[in-house]
Amino acid sequence: MTTEPLLESSFIRKLDRLSILTRRAMAGDLQGERRSPRRGSSVEFADFRPYASGDDIRQIDWNLYARAERFYLKLFVAEEELSVHLLVDTSASMDWGEPNKLRYAKRLAGAFGYIALSNLDRVSASAFGTGPHAVSLPSVRGKRGAMPLFSFLQRLTPGKGGDLAKTCRTYVQTARTPGPLLLCSDLLDAGWKDALAAFSARPFEVTVMHILAPQEIAPELAGDFKLMDVEGGEPVEISADIGLIQRYRESLASWREEIERFCNGRGMSYLAVDTSVPVDEFVLSQLRKRGVLR
Amino acid sequence: MSLISPLALLAAAIVGPIIVAMYLLKLRREERPVSSTFLWRKMVRDVEANAPWQKLRRSLLLLLQLLLMLLLVLALARPFFQTQGISGRNLIIILDHSASMGASDDSPSRLEAAKAKAIQLIDQLPDGGRATIIAAGGAMQVPAAATSDRRELRRAIDAIQIGNGGGSDLAQPLTLASALAAREEDSEVAIISDGNVGIPSAIRVPARVSYFPIGRDSENLAVSAISLQPNKSNTSQTLFVQVTNYGQAAATRRLDIYLDGAIFNAYNLSLAPDPTRGQSIVAEIPPQVRVVEARLDGTDALAADDRAFAVSTLGNVLNVRLISPGNRFLETGLALLPGVSVTKPISGTSTFTETATQIPVTIIDGPTPATLPPGNLLFVGPIRSTDYFSVTGEIEFPSLRPVGGDDPGLRQILDNVSLSEVSVLKTARITLGNWARVVVDSDGAPLLAVGERDGRRVAVLAFDLHNSDLPLQVAFPLLLSNLMGYLAPGSGAEAAQLLPSQPLALQVDASISEVRVTRPDGTVASSRDGGVQIRDGQAIYADTDALGVYTLEEFRDGEVQAAHRYAVNLFAPKESAITAQRDLTVPQTSGAQSTISRTRDGRQEFWRWLALAALVVLVIEWLVYQRNGLAYLRQRWRERRSAAPTR
Repeated sequence: MTTEPLLESSFIRKLDRLSILTRRAMAGDLQGERRSPRRGSSVEFADFRPYASGDDIRQIDWNLYARAERFYLKLFVAEEELSVHLLVDTSASMDWGEPNKLRYAKRLAGAFGYIALSNLDRVSASAFGTGPHAVSLPSVRGKRGAMPLFSFLQRLTPGKGGDLAKTCRTYVQTARTPGPLLLCSDLLDAGWKDALAAFSARPFEVTVMHILAPQEIAPELAGDFKLMDVEGGEPVEISADIGLIQRYRESLASWREEIERFCNGRGMSYLAVDTSVPVDEFVLSQLRKRGVLR
Repeated sequence: MSLISPLALLAAAIVGPIIVAMYLLKLRREERPVSSTFLWRKMVRDVEANAPWQKLRRSLLLLLQLLLMLLLVLALARPFFQTQGISGRNLIIILDHSASMGASDDSPSRLEAAKAKAIQLIDQLPDGGRATIIAAGGAMQVPAAATSDRRELRRAIDAIQIGNGGGSDLAQPLTLASALAAREEDSEVAIISDGNVGIPSAIRVPARVSYFPIGRDSENLAVSAISLQPNKSNTSQTLFVQVTNYGQAAATRRLDIYLDGAIFNAYNLSLAPDPTRGQSIVAEIPPQVRVVEARLDGTDALAADDRAFAVSTLGNVLNVRLISPGNRFLETGLALLPGVSVTKPISGTSTFTETATQIPVTIIDGPTPATLPPGNLLFVGPIRSTDYFSVTGEIEFPSLRPVGGDDPGLRQILDNVSLSEVSVLKTARITLGNWARVVVDSDGAPLLAVGERDGRRVAVLAFDLHNSDLPLQVAFPLLLSNLMGYLAPGSGAEAAQLLPSQPLALQVDASISEVRVTRPDGTVASSRDGGVQIRDGQAIYADTDALGVYTLEEFRDGEVQAAHRYAVNLFAPKESAITAQRDLTVPQTSGAQSTISRTRDGRQEFWRWLALAALVVLVIEWLVYQRNGLAYLRQRWRERRSAAPTR
């Protein structure tokens, strides 16, 4: 296990200034700092509604009563916490590449979770790839939760790999509160389409971090090879020459395009991540540019 | 096709399985872990649609390597074709370059075909073998002597040109070849010729003689004679042209006559195939015409003999001094000769003021003057001794017998002259110095002798014409004409006609500072740069192998004093008869007479070509192996090209 800290302190300080953007108001469990679709107590006015028996008489707008001689309640926008979900794919294929994809995914999830925590949001992290059920961190809240989150992420070990779609479906069904969901995976699974489609079942706001190592984006192979799948898939024999590499890159590009189209069609954000780009640079500039963070 | 060392093929049986085994071992691919084969599987599915080609491409290197090995093994086995060729290590090539080799029935000409054959023989020469090239026909040349340097041999063969002059007598080359062959074991003589050669029967070549016949055509027409004679009155000229068919089939050709380059007349001739009887044309030609050309229209195998030239000798006057007590026969005989003007000094004179150029010939009949005049001399029936000979007595009823053999200079004297009917009553017995060569003698006593001494030509006729019936016979004017031609070279109609390579000689005055010769192709040779030699009052130009009209000009202080024209024609029946001979009879010490090879013992090896092919395959194999790098370079190049315009 690496003794290296998951995120450097200078990077964490920079993350303090960021927050997660959501495209729509989302409900949470406790009061927080986010607009909620519910009515609640805040300083921001939302609406009036006629009084019904049982309502809190403290919320009656007396000025309106004076004018209309009927009781109206003055409603305010509720501010609640967000429930941010961090999903890290720990299948064997992730523990590959230089820089390592899994470590990259952990750091990315850590950074994202820290941003959420520093904005008093609830963060729950799950790792899947080891079996049918995800290894989860019970949700944490506030900066206090940063340490458990980081250590949880640090402790994650690569699994053997499993059915991505099934794991995703199970997670969606068992998650308490939907909210922003960050999926860090290489999607190198035949069932990637089903996996992504599973999130549409509940109102998650999904951001797909499609993490690939530079060795996958532009493989440097020349000669005859037998490619062994680390997840135990069927080996493939190739005679690599420049034409084959060219075709591989074209095929990769079209695959990424296909995923992006699929995501756009379901209101998900898709981000292709190259692990050769440092995490901090990616988070501070690219994610802000893409409107995931502010 | 056979193999010299077929055992080398065993190498294929050893190396081939090794290559295949190595290839099969190589098929075990290097294993390389990847995160997932998901993407690769996806792509390989697309690729496998054209799997057969992929498989072939994978084994392309193996196929190329096997091909390379096969080529190398074949080259090691040294395959060869059996050809008619040579087997000796000391090769003597006699290459005929006479005029008949200029025939174009073998493209581009027989000579080129002969050269190609000679080079082929050189290529068959075993390693360390030596070759000598002898160019036969005309003056014999040996451009390469006993060398194993094939480059030099090739260069020597390439440099051989057609020699129009001199016929094609193989006596001299065969003698030389015999001498060379006798010196070394394992010699072989190769004669490359069309077979129209003279071969001496006395020779015994101490080596195997192979004959490589060149040429296949036999049809040829030739202008076999041309002559332009001024008439007695000097008001017109008579042209005589003879055309002969040397082929085997009757032929019809048109003969065009050009006067000074302009067409004058054309004759349609139908010729039967008879080399001894030609068809003649006689025409009157205006006196101002200088050069007549007879040209056979159309083409045949040999082009050199389709044209002939004659130059006008009208107005060329030969001055002859006649010192005689009175000889009607001589006077009449000289008067019959065209272009001869006779001057008779007062009898008893012994001082002669005219130079040799003005009066080149003096005939001294009977008594000899106290001092001999300058120029060439003809003594007729001398009474007393002179510086050149001594008269020792008299012979009665001598029997005339021509001698002199094959010497063309002496044959010229008796050309067309028959002495068998001539009888002589008595003659002076003459003793000659060793300068003289006897033309006619009688039991060892010379009757007619010619020779050169002190820079002058001298002829001696031992008997007085009055003591003979010679003047009454046809032979007399002919003999007189021949003697004049000998004594005054370069004058008269005969002298204006030369055979190829016959030197052009003319008496020139001492005051002449330069002599120039304009050749038929327009190039000029001058006595200043040594192209023309002036020696003993005679200008000599020897390089007359090209056919056509030569113009000789005499210069004094830069001004033209006189111009003479000479026509060089190929009048050689032996060369014009171009029928290629399939066999030659060359006596050899082995007893063989024929030169047709019964065994095909030439070996045309071609392992070099196989090795070359192997080299090409090697390059291709390397390119196939490196195709990745090549594709990369091509892509870079394309990128740079597409990037260039935007910059």
